[in-house]
Amino acid sequence: MTKVLIIGSGISGLTCAIECASRGINSVLVSPFPSERAQSVLAAGGINAVLRQDNGDSIEKHIEDTLKGGGNIAGVKAVTGLCTEAPSVVRWLESLGTVFSRDEEGKIRQRPFGGQTYPRTCFAGTSTGKQIVTALVMEARRLEGQGLIERRFWSDFHSALIKDGKCCGALIFNEASGTLEAVTADAVVIAAGGQNMMFGKTTGSTQCDGYTAGRLLMQGVKLKNLEFIQYHPTAIETDRKNMLVSEAARGEGGRLYYEEDGKRVYFMEDKFGEKGNLMPRDVVSRTMYETGRDIFLDVSFLGREKILDRLPEVYDLCMKYRGIDITRESIPVKPTVHFFMGGIAVDLNHMTNIRDLYAVGECASIYHGANRLGGNSLLAAVYSGRVAARSIASSAPGSDGSDWSGFVKSEQDRLAVRREVTGDTTVSYVKTVLADTIGSALGIARSAESIAKGMETVDHFLAIKDEISFNKSELEYFNYRIDGLLNLGKAMLICADSRRESRGSHIRSDYPETDDAFRKATIVSLEDGEFRTELVVEDDYAG
Amino acid sequence: MRVKIKRQQYPGAEPFWQEYTYEGDMNVSVAAVIDSINSKDNPDVVSWECSCLQAMCGGCAMVINGVPRLACDTFVNKLKGSELVIEPLRKFPVIKDLVVDRGIIQENLKKASTYIGEYEHDDKYSQELEYQIGRCLKCGLCLEACPNYVKGDNFFGPLFADDSYFINARSKGDKKAIKRNYDKHFAKGCSKALACEKVCPVNIPTLSAIARMNRL
Repeated sequence: MTKVLIIGSGISGLTCAIECASRGINSVLVSPFPSERAQSVLAAGGINAVLRQDNGDSIEKHIEDTLKGGGNIAGVKAVTGLCTEAPSVVRWLESLGTVFSRDEEGKIRQRPFGGQTYPRTCFAGTSTGKQIVTALVMEARRLEGQGLIERRFWSDFHSALIKDGKCCGALIFNEASGTLEAVTADAVVIAAGGQNMMFGKTTGSTQCDGYTAGRLLMQGVKLKNLEFIQYHPTAIETDRKNMLVSEAARGEGGRLYYEEDGKRVYFMEDKFGEKGNLMPRDVVSRTMYETGRDIFLDVSFLGREKILDRLPEVYDLCMKYRGIDITRESIPVKPTVHFFMGGIAVDLNHMTNIRDLYAVGECASIYHGANRLGGNSLLAAVYSGRVAARSIASSAPGSDGSDWSGFVKSEQDRLAVRREVTGDTTVSYVKTVLADTIGSALGIARSAESIAKGMETVDHFLAIKDEISFNKSELEYFNYRIDGLLNLGKAMLICADSRRESRGSHIRSDYPETDDAFRKATIVSLEDGEFRTELVVEDDYAG
Repeated sequence: MRVKIKRQQYPGAEPFWQEYTYEGDMNVSVAAVIDSINSKDNPDVVSWECSCLQAMCGGCAMVINGVPRLACDTFVNKLKGSELVIEPLRKFPVIKDLVVDRGIIQENLKKASTYIGEYEHDDKYSQELEYQIGRCLKCGLCLEACPNYVKGDNFFGPLFADDSYFINARSKGDKKAIKRNYDKHFAKGCSKALACEKVCPVNIPTLSAIARMNRL
């Protein structure tokens, strides 16, 4: 192939662009803002890889932990690829100049993270994601200088250009000119992040909304496992968002407790033993939820020196946003939406069911099953970008030179009509209600009743979607994305309804047991206005 | 509280001031105040850039009561005076309201070949300082505050000095070329006002980077 269009410039998009460009493929990297604004920079904790085996750790154990932590539904082949290449991923990031933390011997430091049998989370202080972005941006800049990467800012994804089951590019909306442009390419890679906008306060970026997945669903792309939404156990509530208290706080020894009759109850340790605080995130969040109490995280006993050395960002954010001195006080924490295991369904090469349309990073669903382990998201972001690039490089050029001007005009006309709609039901109102609706329907525990209630609201908005008025003072993207978000919301509810068991992060109060009949992935599609779901075995689907 | 926001409809349009009244909690960030102004189904929202809402992305850099700061990192109850005055960064072209085009930052870094290329760590450099520089948000606050940085000039500003140190410490490439670029695009123009360190939202010790680069 000679040209690839990449939507999103966080870690997975940057990696894919670098890996394509280093193979001589011209990469166009589209994002509204520079990579420094991507959610990737918020990933604090680390990246998993087995770098040493003298302590008893092994690639096999990393695979086993990932599969087990994910509720045993992720594909063995996909997870094996991920974990086997993990050491090489970390070495590659190191070779690009990522500032990893090191021990006295100069080796990359690793620490324990939840659900892992050995300490294998490599980290860069408490800003691992940010340090990786810094290194990748510099490498991308080098390749920009060679003319192999072109970056386009102030540009948003609108829709894919699909003909005869093949992706030929994407319609891109230019916010500066207010126009749509058909950008053709041999392959398109979606690296647009998770679905935060579907909920209210999350730990993530406001830029990640899920529109791309929703719009692609409307265009015939299959989505997967949308019911699996990770609630991170330790977030601290502030006025605008719930900020993540990194798993590193528990990795360094932090203890969760609630108070009863003036005494502390270390409920995770009571239930799961001494490693209780570092159980996988789904287990910790569920157990916290089941206590029905206000939960606190104590790290103060680590001592001021160690806290300021190992957890400075946690110290800063608690002090700055809540006035809490964690060297003396406990942190009030609550489970908060943090990561989406579900997303665009892809095969082992990260290709979707549409030929030459790929998805990488958090927007793709393949490695994490029903629950993701801490430290595996940065790994999957880099690994998926590399895998997609290898597949693209080995494929024949596929751009057929079709004329897309008719499609551009019809979508431009459609936008013009929508801009003229007046009425009280505004985009911002619908967006707010949608987030409240999905948040209520798909809380830590959900039921047929909560899902049906949510479905009623989403169905109502879908029925009147052409009457929703745009806000002309907003960026156009903030307006036109509403159709994609509504369809994605409906697909999420349908997936959650169809999985009548509890597994990983999906807890059904009306189906509390795990059922082997559901030891599969949920695929959801939208054809001729009908949503359909099917259960598939991951290894069969991924190829 | 009275809130004055300098607005602009589109690139090149005449800017104008608009006043609002904020009556909510004062123990909140300026980002929360802007959100509050925009949240009442306002048909004329104030455009601003945001992503992380916790001082980790640099999106919401703006001028608040005359000082370049991040809106999500600036708390209303800690500001002096009875009114809140918000303007877009003045050294970058306005796209709309508080949203500015900071593309020049990336362009300049590209122009000066600010990349590592082949990696090799030189142990005489400080890994801790490299880590701090690696946290740079590219928000542009240091350029806004720097008295020597002028739009379109050959002086690329403090963030370039920091990145020069970073690549010099971690690149196997031509270090003389890195120093030449540093001299040309930074050292000759810096008057050491150090306003950059005062406004940096992640407290990058730029003076240390400058001191070490100047000694080369």
